[in-house]
This record gives sequence, C-alpha cells and structure tokens, in this order.
Amino acid sequence: MRRVGCPAASRSRRRHRAAAWTAAVASALAAGLWPAPQAQAAQSARLGAAFSPYRLGGRATIVFSFEIAAPAGQLPAALTDVDIEYPQNLGIVLSGLGLDVCSAPILEANGTGGCPTNSVMGGGWAVAEMRFGAQIVSERARISIARAPDEGGHIALLLYAVGPSPVDTQILSPAQLVPAEGPFGGQLNIQLPLVPSVPGAPDVAIVQMKTTIGPQGVLYEERAGGRTLTYTPKGILLPNVCPKGGFQFAAQFEFVDGTKQSARTAVPCPTRRRQGTG
Amino acid sequence: MSLTHSRAALRAVVAAVAFGGCCSSAAIADASVLKASDTAHLRYVSASGALLLEKGTATGTLPGSMTVHLDVGATFTGSFAIVTKSGSIYGHGTATPHGSGAYESFSGSLTVTGGTGRYRTARGSAGLYGTFNRSNYALVIQTRGNLSY
Repeated sequence: MRRVGCPAASRSRRRHRAAAWTAAVASALAAGLWPAPQAQAAQSARLGAAFSPYRLGGRATIVFSFEIAAPAGQLPAALTDVDIEYPQNLGIVLSGLGLDVCSAPILEANGTGGCPTNSVMGGGWAVAEMRFGAQIVSERARISIARAPDEGGHIALLLYAVGPSPVDTQILSPAQLVPAEGPFGGQLNIQLPLVPSVPGAPDVAIVQMKTTIGPQGVLYEERAGGRTLTYTPKGILLPNVCPKGGFQFAAQFEFVDGTKQSARTAVPCPTRRRQGTG
Repeated sequence: MSLTHSRAALRAVVAAVAFGGCCSSAAIADASVLKASDTAHLRYVSASGALLLEKGTATGTLPGSMTVHLDVGATFTGSFAIVTKSGSIYGHGTATPHGSGAYESFSGSLTVTGGTGRYRTARGSAGLYGTFNRSNYALVIQTRGNLSY
C-alpha cells in the first residue's frame, strides 16, 4: 500500500482509499476479523526531544519523539498534522545535511535507495495501530528522511515510512521547516496522509514516532581526486550557551476527528558532569 | 559590477528652497542620495548555533571592510557594518533562503539605520541577494538600493 500526503490536498482527497487494501480486507475476512464499529476515544499526546551527543557549542543530531495515547483497549483518532516547534539558534543550515534533494516520485518508485546519498537528513521509526474486529494490531515502520526541493522558500523534507508486517505499507509524508513565533526558532510541520484500515474501521492511527535529523547513522559521499570518499556530515551546531530553562520544544497534533492536542518538553541545560548526553 | 554614484538634492532640500529656505547651507550640502550597488565576499569567523560571525571586503559604490552577524534560521536575519574611508554604515536585513545543494541562495531586503563620519545620518534601504556556501560558510552578498546621508 502506498499513501502520499500532500499539503494542499483536501481532507476528502486524503481519505482516498487504496485499492491495494483489498488484499488486507480479504485477509481480515478470511481470518474472521471483520471490524466491529467502535467509538474512538479522546487521545492525549506526549512530546520528547533530545540532542545526541549533547555538548554546547558542539555538533548534534536532534531527536524528536511523540506518543499518542487513548484509553486502554481503544484506538486514538488518526493523526493528520504534527507541528513541532524547536528552539532558536539551532544551526540546522550549518549542518552540512541535505546537500542534494530527492523527489516524491523517486521515493515512491524506488524507496530511499533511489535517492541521492547526500539528500538523506535522518531517520527513525513509527508505530501505528489499526483495528481488526475486537483486536488492535500494531505495526512498526522504519522512517527515512530526505531533503526535498524547497517549497515556498522553506526547507522541505520527505518522510518515507516502510512497514512490512502485518500489512505491507509505504507512507510518504511531506514536511517543511517554517519560521515560528515567540521563543521558538522554527517549526517542523509534518503532514500525515490518512491510511485506511478495513472498511468500517477507523483509519490507521500513528501512536508513536521517533525521528532524528542529523548525522547519526548517515553517510555522505564526495568526489575527490577521482575517488568517491565517504564521510559523516557535520551535524546541527548547538549554541555555546544554554537558554534559561533549557531548550524548549512544543508540538501541536491535529487529528482526523478535528480535535487537537498540544504538548511541550525541554532539553535541560547540561551540567558539567552531564555533557554528552541529551 | 556596475556603479552608479549620483548626488541629487533630497526632496526636503527642494521643499526648503521652494518655501524660502529653512535649512542651513551645511545641511543642504550634506544631504545626498546615493544609488549604491555593492558586492561583499565574506568568510566564516565563528558560529554559535545558527549565529554566524562573518568578515570580508565590500566592493562597489561603498568599498570597505564588512562585518556581518547572521542568524541562519528558517529565515536569514542579521546586522552589518561597513567601514569605509569616509566613515562606517550599519543596519540590518532579512532574507528568505531558496534552493538546496552546496550553495543556498537567498533574497530579501536591508535597512540602513545609521553610521559614523560622513555617513553619520545615513538612512536607506536596499535589495539583498546572495549565496551561502554550506560547506565553508562563505557568504557572497549583493545589495542594490538608495542611501541618503
């Protein structure tokens, strides 16, 4: 199954059902897992953030994570937008990441293997839940993050999630780094396409995501003297001074049922003994 | 780089003459508008987070040494100072980055807010264009606009 999110797409377009789900529905029917319609519960959200490594004035990978929770035994509504505001003065432009770009058609056709090596900006994973009858089934997907051609003067990214089981899933989510107000330096805006479940059941719900933007696990290539050299990009430059109260992050989550949740977190200022962990 | 250096009477001076003259001759003599077009090549000095300190040389209408403090966030914002033989000019600007790859281009505007020496009353605005080398952080900045002093 492939789902591609589009920032300009209407909700109705985003709800378009993929024909490939027929196979999943047939499997569910065969297994006697036809869904029983159930009310969806109000969800709560929790945000996490970290720098790795964490040294003021040093280079780092930024780690974003979030969890969406519903009351026990219930499925949260599907997530449609995540806006994560990050602190001022993070040297993302100075990171040496995203020297090349990848496009949505290339990702759809060939996965990240088809993208230029120097377009990769990070990775991560997500856990999604879907209902089959009375059962809630979870699926873990690996995420690759690639730089995409800028959109409206903003750095654009593509998040490409691949989950092999129980349903073979590929989800392409566009994202942008846009200016933010107040104490924040910018906002990572991720649009998540709706992923249909079996007929009559709620859309697949993302319940956990952890992504990194930075050089951790990323290798770039450059040509020098007729040879191709592999290197690790520099990484996001942290400021020399920690802001009062630590590095503040905030997120707003929008769900398909129209509800919103917000969450905040902070990376505390390092103590001298604690430098190196974030 | 084409240079256009034209001294023209400010509107205020014209008005002053038309209304019988309210301004001193020194003020009239000092009031100038400069159509300025400059290019600066700046090199990286230091950085903290997204804040860069860059220094280099400006050539064109107002040649001199230039210092820029630049915040390379989701938008580029910063302040600058050009030290010329006749005085310094300072101000601030903002620009939107475009494109991707080893070079990030940007465009925006700058505002001149003051100066010293001959440019002590400097005011003006200009278009701001440039490229940022994402490997060595070198900046090339082009400006085109009007400066009154």
